[in-house]
Amino acid sequence: MKHFLRKSLAAMLAAMLILTGFSGCVRQPQTKPSFRIVASFYPMYIMAINITNGIKDVQVDNMAGQHTGCLHDYQLQSSDMQAISQADVFLINGAGMESFMEKVTRQLPKLRVLDSSNGVPRIQDESGEVNPHMWVSISSYMVQLQNVAAGLEKADPLHAKQYRANADTYLQKLSDLRRRMHEAIDTLPNRNIITFHEAFPYFAEEFHLNIVQTIQREPDSQPSAKELAETIRIIRKSGVKAVFTEPQYQQSSAHIVAQESGATVYTLDPAVTGPDDVNAYLDAMEQNLKTLQKALR
Amino acid sequence: MTQIYALIDTLLPFDWTEFSYMKNALLAILLITPLFGLVGTMVVNNKMSFFSDALGHSALTGIAIGVLLGTDNYLLSMMGFALVFALGISAVIGSGVSSSDTIISVFSSVGMALGIVILSATGGFAKYSAYLIGDILTVQPEEILMLLVILVAVVLVWIFLFNKFMLSSINADLASSKNIPVNLLQNLFMIIIAVLVTATIKWVGILIINSLLVLPAAAARNLARSMRSYHFWSIGISMFSGISGLIFSYYAGTAAGGTIVLVAAVIFFLSFFISRHTERA
Repeated sequence: MKHFLRKSLAAMLAAMLILTGFSGCVRQPQTKPSFRIVASFYPMYIMAINITNGIKDVQVDNMAGQHTGCLHDYQLQSSDMQAISQADVFLINGAGMESFMEKVTRQLPKLRVLDSSNGVPRIQDESGEVNPHMWVSISSYMVQLQNVAAGLEKADPLHAKQYRANADTYLQKLSDLRRRMHEAIDTLPNRNIITFHEAFPYFAEEFHLNIVQTIQREPDSQPSAKELAETIRIIRKSGVKAVFTEPQYQQSSAHIVAQESGATVYTLDPAVTGPDDVNAYLDAMEQNLKTLQKALR
Repeated sequence: MTQIYALIDTLLPFDWTEFSYMKNALLAILLITPLFGLVGTMVVNNKMSFFSDALGHSALTGIAIGVLLGTDNYLLSMMGFALVFALGISAVIGSGVSSSDTIISVFSSVGMALGIVILSATGGFAKYSAYLIGDILTVQPEEILMLLVILVAVVLVWIFLFNKFMLSSINADLASSKNIPVNLLQNLFMIIIAVLVTATIKWVGILIINSLLVLPAAAARNLARSMRSYHFWSIGISMFSGISGLIFSYYAGTAAGGTIVLVAAVIFFLSFFISRHTERA
């Protein structure tokens, strides 16, 4: 009996191996798109679906998915590798956000990597490291959009006209939004803010906000007791009214800081996760505008 | 709570007790460390340190189940899964097919791997990595109350059942001949560890929770001469490492959990040299 069971287990394992081998061939797309774009993460994906809006035979994939957020500790999955190796263009934010992808892209010499960060003014932290969260500033995002549109026109001349037209429409929407945000935010009396995780320097620069302190630079590490105490003292002394967290990360330490210092916790969205919707970035920024109007009054 | 805070302010008028998050952390440590010291004695005696480690790892799957169920409070899902897990380990060990360390490693790997697979399925593992390191500073007053309840319950179990625990761990045959339900006690003890580990994992962290359970008791074993002094040493060392680690982490700006474990480790090595020295003398 035992012998029989053992044999059937071996047979089962072998069958599974063969089946998984087959299933690899089954996954073929029904209609073959003429051009494939893989975006590294959500903000790049939203940008790409705006530029390719309404073009039927261009496919846009989001490598990291809608819920990942920044790529700080992204784990590459084999489906990602498959998508990238079949892509015509791999669209990245650049400035170090996708540094872990260099090893992958080096193995695929034919893959065209489109770096959106060219010519965007960089912000560095004290240690000289470049902050990659540039898309959170609308102006930088618009430069990135121009770069991406130009790159796609070159890579896929067949659709160049449509890319251009879509990009212009999106640029118009963005610059309207930027104007409205400036009108609303520039007159607000309080300019000092405290943020968690380093996503907002570009945003703050755009709207002349002063980030007094950034707590918990890496979102997955916890701030130490000393760091919390220093932050609370800074808030008490400087009279900062608002502490900003992001919807993507747990906020327990933000609430500690707020409780002890009398500041209020608000949520600012760096548009790094969200719905699969062409207007996602615009909507997130509208929401940020409302939040800031409330917080900095 | 305000009275306790006022009391701490009077007794400890220091820089590090200025903020209530530090007061909360101190209170939590005053409750967690004796628990770990006490339960740790039996973990070390019964050679169950692998087992408690596996339970810590199972917390990851417990969180994942909580995420799948859509709850915000992972405590129940973690505790539920850890109980099933503990009893599962106990049942498989009881069947005698493989040795217990192999079986525990198998369960431990499953607990960890299943958690990683489910939590990273949506690509959002970073959200839960706080559980790996833990954060004692985020403990809330109502959670301190829960810790107090657990401490009281465990102390009561210890007072009433310690002798039976002890006898069944030293000689199971003798114990069962005296009508002590050995298996039941064994399972009860596993449940205690499961509850303790999952209730505190949010603050202590999956990676170091076992060190906190094992190190003080291991050091105490080097120093103690009787069962009674073993318990006192273990609880004492545990509390000392907890409090001094917390204070040190405040001034040095280090992670509280890791600092506490390092203090306990230093004490272990001191106790090791002391016991070697006294043996030779």
